[in-house]
Amino acid sequence: MISLMTTAEFLHKIEDVLEEELGTLKPAMLLDGQVDGWDSMGVVSFMALVDERFGETLSPEKLDEAKTVQDLLDLVAHHLKD
Amino acid sequence: VAIRGVGSAVPAGSVTIDDDARRFGETATQRLVKNTGVVRRHVVVEGQTTSDLCEAAASQLLDALEWERESIDALIFVSQTPDYLLPATACTLQDRLGLPTTCASFDVNLGCSGYVYGLWMASHFVSAKSARRALLLVGDTISRISSPDDRAVGPLFGDAGTATAIEAGDDDSPWFFELGSDGSGRDHLIVPAGGFRTPRSAATAKKTEGNGVRSAEQLAMNGAEVFAFTLQRVPGLLKSVTDAAGWSREDVDAYVLHQASKFIVDQLARRLGVEHEKVVLALSDYGNTSSASIPLALTTHRAASLRAGPCRLVMAGFGVGLSWAAVALSTGPIVVPELIISEPIMAPA
Repeated sequence: MISLMTTAEFLHKIEDVLEEELGTLKPAMLLDGQVDGWDSMGVVSFMALVDERFGETLSPEKLDEAKTVQDLLDLVAHHLKD
Repeated sequence: VAIRGVGSAVPAGSVTIDDDARRFGETATQRLVKNTGVVRRHVVVEGQTTSDLCEAAASQLLDALEWERESIDALIFVSQTPDYLLPATACTLQDRLGLPTTCASFDVNLGCSGYVYGLWMASHFVSAKSARRALLLVGDTISRISSPDDRAVGPLFGDAGTATAIEAGDDDSPWFFELGSDGSGRDHLIVPAGGFRTPRSAATAKKTEGNGVRSAEQLAMNGAEVFAFTLQRVPGLLKSVTDAAGWSREDVDAYVLHQASKFIVDQLARRLGVEHEKVVLALSDYGNTSSASIPLALTTHRAASLRAGPCRLVMAGFGVGLSWAAVALSTGPIVVPELIISEPIMAPA
């Protein structure tokens, strides 16, 4: 269940759970305003993705502080290969 | 202690995703349904209450069991949507159901975890011989306190009332419970106004919360916090009661979890690592019915196996409070009447 993956692979996973078009998500993008799928359901789907892939339950408070896609990547940096 | 029967009632009125699509748009609604798993939910009309639904379910169940009304010693009404601030709705149900005045009757204010808490209380009264027969009436009408404009709760919650009959038996297997609470999460599922800390006022009636989608008198839910709590608390809870019963996952015939949303039930099934058919999913026609969701799911999705019995069940409720409770028990064959579709009782003119 717990597997290391690259940042690029993980970005694709995020695109999948947020129902964003593949390859469209960039680290600099603002979550509020530039990522349509980032609503309350998107947040919970992202939490489920991290729980499933890395066995970690993210704190909703920390997620609330995330402003960009890069902030999301930083939250799981210790699980990524690169 | 043994369960002898379970019955449920839902109101005749219903709302479907077509109604949601008119409010939120087609695309957003499709996404909502994928997440919640709710296609239709039954909702009460004004004047129709949780106790009406529980009364209908209880009358039908007592008749089906051929239990004399005189033989009921205890009535527990679990709900967060009672008829009055006071008196306790349980007292009115004692009278309306024709139960004897020797019947101990009281309300319990719990939601998602309430059914299992109710089983815990009823089983202890009966096993301590302070009651021979107990009636556990559990239900809610959350549609009355959720804003239809709030997409986190409006398209999710439905209404239902249920009745469970419990009595002492000769050779019953023990029930294994684990219960808990964590009030530090009180704000994650809350109706802030309408109690005595923040009474209703002109200000609390205005839709000023959550970007104007709800008032302080309506249900507010922080989905991310509730989800984090569920992931952190529930898998261990399920394992704990299953282990206590001496069962492996394979021994369990059905996991009947609080029907929070399809997404949450699916995530718990994934964590459990059991076949999907063992994890009951019963939201599509009824929504999240709060305290009623477990007994309603038993009625609508496990009636045949409960009538044939015995069934090894692991049931768990978790949410508002925050509060949680799980039980592992073997039951059946039991009486499971058909689901009642309840028309409103109109007060005489």
